[in-house]
Amino acid sequence: PLRPTSSLPQSFLLKCLEQMRKVQADGTVLQERLCATHKLCHAEELVLLGHALGIPQPPLSSCSSQALQLTGCLRQLHSGLVLYQGLLQALAGITPELAPTLDMLQLDISDFALNIWQQMEELGLAQAVPPSQGTMPTFTSAFERRAGGVLVASNLQSFLELAYRALRCFAKP
Amino acid sequence: ECGRISLPTPTVHLGDPITASCIISPNCSHLDPESQILWKLGTELQPGKRQRRLADGRQESTITVPRLDSPWVLLSCCLRWGNSLQILDQAEVQAGYPPAAPHNLSCLMNLTTNSLICQWEPGPNNHLPTNFTLKSFKSRGNCQTQEDAIPDCVPNDGQNHCSIPRRHLQLYQSMGIWVQAENALGTSKSPQLCLVPMDVVKLEPPTLWALAPSPEVAAPQPGCLLFHWEPWKPSLYIEQKCELRHQPQLAEASWALVGPLLSQTLQYELCGLLPSTAYVLQMRCTRWPLPGQWSDWSPSLTLATAQR
Repeated sequence: PLRPTSSLPQSFLLKCLEQMRKVQADGTVLQERLCATHKLCHAEELVLLGHALGIPQPPLSSCSSQALQLTGCLRQLHSGLVLYQGLLQALAGITPELAPTLDMLQLDISDFALNIWQQMEELGLAQAVPPSQGTMPTFTSAFERRAGGVLVASNLQSFLELAYRALRCFAKP
Repeated sequence: ECGRISLPTPTVHLGDPITASCIISPNCSHLDPESQILWKLGTELQPGKRQRRLADGRQESTITVPRLDSPWVLLSCCLRWGNSLQILDQAEVQAGYPPAAPHNLSCLMNLTTNSLICQWEPGPNNHLPTNFTLKSFKSRGNCQTQEDAIPDCVPNDGQNHCSIPRRHLQLYQSMGIWVQAENALGTSKSPQLCLVPMDVVKLEPPTLWALAPSPEVAAPQPGCLLFHWEPWKPSLYIEQKCELRHQPQLAEASWALVGPLLSQTLQYELCGLLPSTAYVLQMRCTRWPLPGQWSDWSPSLTLATAQR
């Protein structure tokens, strides 16, 4: 595994941090609109529903400060982004007003996942078979899609927050 | 149908010859089987044509115009009938040049429209209707390999810029881009650019405010000005550096430049100025340390320094 102060290109790490901030900004817009329009403002109010829907949360153990390990962190980050792409696709049809926000979030996550994957390929860290999205929850009503949107956005923010702190360590000159 | 002009091509190079033929059917010239076919170029009768009778009784006249010097001409096939000249058919002929290669292609990533806006110079007028198409493909590194094609971007008529929408872009990957020009006489291509959309992002300018003295904000020192500024909101996720320029409102004053100001420091005290003098302040920002384009200068903020 690469040393914590990695030999990853500085520009790659800076781009990753920028992309994370962009995805977080997109996610915040989605959360704000779900709150303003549908009064769904707190993920904590939807925990039971979240369990029932079975919304998966990707692991980031290699990005935690206790066990920080760059290769593993990059792989988990990439797999997590692929998972969130799937979750956002499952939310398609959330509401016409939110569709542009959801599209932008998907595009930015897809760009971010591609950026990481290509860098891993160039460093020979990429798995032979790219990770798949796995089974996705099914949102059977407009309310479930909106509630699912709140939960997915909230989980995504926490996911990115942890990954951001990890990559920031590697990005310090 | 009385007469029919046929042309090998309706478009020729300017200065080249053109040959046309006109066939008149017998039932049109029933009055005089040996009627003479005449040609007009624009309004002028043309000499030098050859006429012959075909096996089926139709008359055919062929003319060669030695040199077309006008980008557009009207060729008429006529028949003398009594004292009048009867026009039986007309054909438009265009003359021009193959398109020159478009040049000075440049692109900017616009975060307001979330699109990559590219512009180019079309090159000299070739006198012919010319279609420009912005072509691009996704790639890696220095664009030696083409990964996925991106749909052509067709500018509105007469415009020399085109916007590639966000859904066709991968903001952090290289893409190859060029402009193709095409008219009836040929096709040409601009040199290819290889760029990463976010590396050509152009931000909107920051916003500057005066900072009124308050319990939290001490009045500025003599010869100093205090102001507050904020980067353009949609670019808050982008690390950037900014620079300030200021100029006293005096005759023939010039701009002085201060920078870099990092986008985290949102309040700034500018010192070393003349007392009781009005100053015009402007700021601009660029993505940094990652590559980007400077924004335009912000609208001016005018502040006056205190008396000594």
